[in-house]
Amino acid sequence: MLDRIILHSDLMGLVDELAHKRRIIGPVARDVPECDPPVRYFYEEVDHADQLDLSFNYCVYSPKRFLTPPAETLFAFSPDDEGLAGTPDYDPRPTVLVGIHPCDIHAIRLYDRVFDIEYRDEHYFARREATMIIGLDCRVPCTEGVFCKDMGTNGAEEGFDVMLYPLGTDGGNVRYGVMFGTSAGREWLLYSRQSVVPSDDDKRTFEKYRAEKETAFPFVLHTRREDLPELLSRSYDSLLWDATARRCYSCGSCNLSCPTCYCFDISDETDLTPGAGRRTREWDGCQLPDFALVSGDHNFRAKTASRLRHRIYRKAVWIQERSGRVGCVGCARCDRACTAKICSVEIYNQLAEEV
Amino acid sequence: MTTAESLEHQTRASLYIPSPARVIGVQQMTDLEVLLQLAFDNGRPLDHEPGQFVQVSILGVGECPISVCSSPTRPDHFELCVRRVGEVTTHIHKLEEGDVIGIRGPLGHGFDVAELHGKDILIVAGGLGIAPARSLIQYILDERERFGAFHLLYGSRSPSELLYREDLTLWRQSPDVNFHLTVDRPDEQWRGKSGVVTTLFKELPQLNPTETMVVIIGPPVMFKFVVLEVLARRIPQKSIYCSLERRMKCGVGICGHCQVNNIYVCLEGPVFKYGQLKALREAIE
Repeated sequence: MLDRIILHSDLMGLVDELAHKRRIIGPVARDVPECDPPVRYFYEEVDHADQLDLSFNYCVYSPKRFLTPPAETLFAFSPDDEGLAGTPDYDPRPTVLVGIHPCDIHAIRLYDRVFDIEYRDEHYFARREATMIIGLDCRVPCTEGVFCKDMGTNGAEEGFDVMLYPLGTDGGNVRYGVMFGTSAGREWLLYSRQSVVPSDDDKRTFEKYRAEKETAFPFVLHTRREDLPELLSRSYDSLLWDATARRCYSCGSCNLSCPTCYCFDISDETDLTPGAGRRTREWDGCQLPDFALVSGDHNFRAKTASRLRHRIYRKAVWIQERSGRVGCVGCARCDRACTAKICSVEIYNQLAEEV
Repeated sequence: MTTAESLEHQTRASLYIPSPARVIGVQQMTDLEVLLQLAFDNGRPLDHEPGQFVQVSILGVGECPISVCSSPTRPDHFELCVRRVGEVTTHIHKLEEGDVIGIRGPLGHGFDVAELHGKDILIVAGGLGIAPARSLIQYILDERERFGAFHLLYGSRSPSELLYREDLTLWRQSPDVNFHLTVDRPDEQWRGKSGVVTTLFKELPQLNPTETMVVIIGPPVMFKFVVLEVLARRIPQKSIYCSLERRMKCGVGICGHCQVNNIYVCLEGPVFKYGQLKALREAIE
């Protein structure tokens, strides 16, 4: 349901007001000369809303690093602690994520679940609960090769505080339809009085927007998402894993760029003062050769093919089985990040044709 | 720290902060293995199930997962057998009585002792597998009247690698356990049996297939050979337990390192029913 209408300039004014209380994270255009076209978008921290570019197609990386950073301190310790660890290091900085696409919202919803299945990871939730999310719906696919429609993630009904729908322009100013996702989002927008109640015209435009969106996104997979578990259950011994693994460098770029990857390693850093330091966690990737190595040099997934298969099964089946939420959001960042041009869509489709 | 921050810390408990435990005894068992006796200063028991593990912290070096090798029926302290294989375990080997280390846990699922009650028990342990097995062995000996016949087979690579020598003597003399021991590579002084652990099956009496529960703990290569021997004695798959070794980092089912297919060993294991494992393709290979 459409709750409000707000113009882009008014929205940016509101974001600027938020900057007094929260750090602002959103899409920023950057020149990357070796790319064609040379402009790429990245989620970054900004001081002012006018540094954001909400007309972006997609961001190279998902916003996951603002919820679970590439490296973080779990706790610090000092020589006086005598084995007793110090206080946990939480990061409850108030933050607002602006311009988050539905695929990444689904990925955050997955994190909200996987960091709280049997045990609740407060290091994640300290950040998450201090984070406000302003979503931005996609009217059309952000780029070629995405398969969000197949994964059911090209729209989101929850997981945001407010969601913006770009319904058109008003004298060069984008006119957003707004849907509230939380009471906090509702209060924030209504308090400012910058937005208006949608007119009947707005409601019709919104209906048309949604209808057009139905046909604007293509299906890319040759199988339905619901059939992936069945498909993969018959594909464990496929030679495709070995064939694809010939090209894989085991570099982990797919893990790094994936909005639903959340595996990590834990290690200690020490200071120059003996006995002082901190325990940290860092992103890790299941494609890296020693990910499943145990003491005594036994590696449970020593072969590239077994690691590749592990990643695809996790994304397509296992994460969903465990968490009840979709494990791959179809953003195709892994496919774009792969140096060897290994493409998850191609893997799914080749498997679908094998059987 | 601001008021808001201190409030934040009071209401959020971190999964990753270990509790201090004091070393109350150290015994060098072999060149590679040390036995630590640990206790919490406030006297609280570890409160574990046989087969569970803990994450041992040496602050500044790191953490490693170690199976508890003593039984919860002896609650005044708990014991860990630690093989020196990496950085953390090398530091553990330097510990002395009175030192304090960090413990997270108990973690994972151990043996369902209620299911074992009333049954005949066969434990087959290979190498370092005797350590987690010992938590159950002690439990059975301490609660002896709750179990039927109790057979224990232990295989070690060489006489010098035998662990828990005092226990071995005790078990050999005890009427409460039918204990057999073998080494793969005997030396000149060795007077006992030699050969891999499966050669000890000929020492066993007829096992009652419907009344026997089997526990197998050892290096990955051992599992399939022992499972084969057990199945050949018509013991159903549901009566076989295995304990798996994996690289546990977080120990709470998040970090992904110990994942075998869709199973997190640190949560659902390390103790599994064989029936669960055989469907997992990377579990026993």
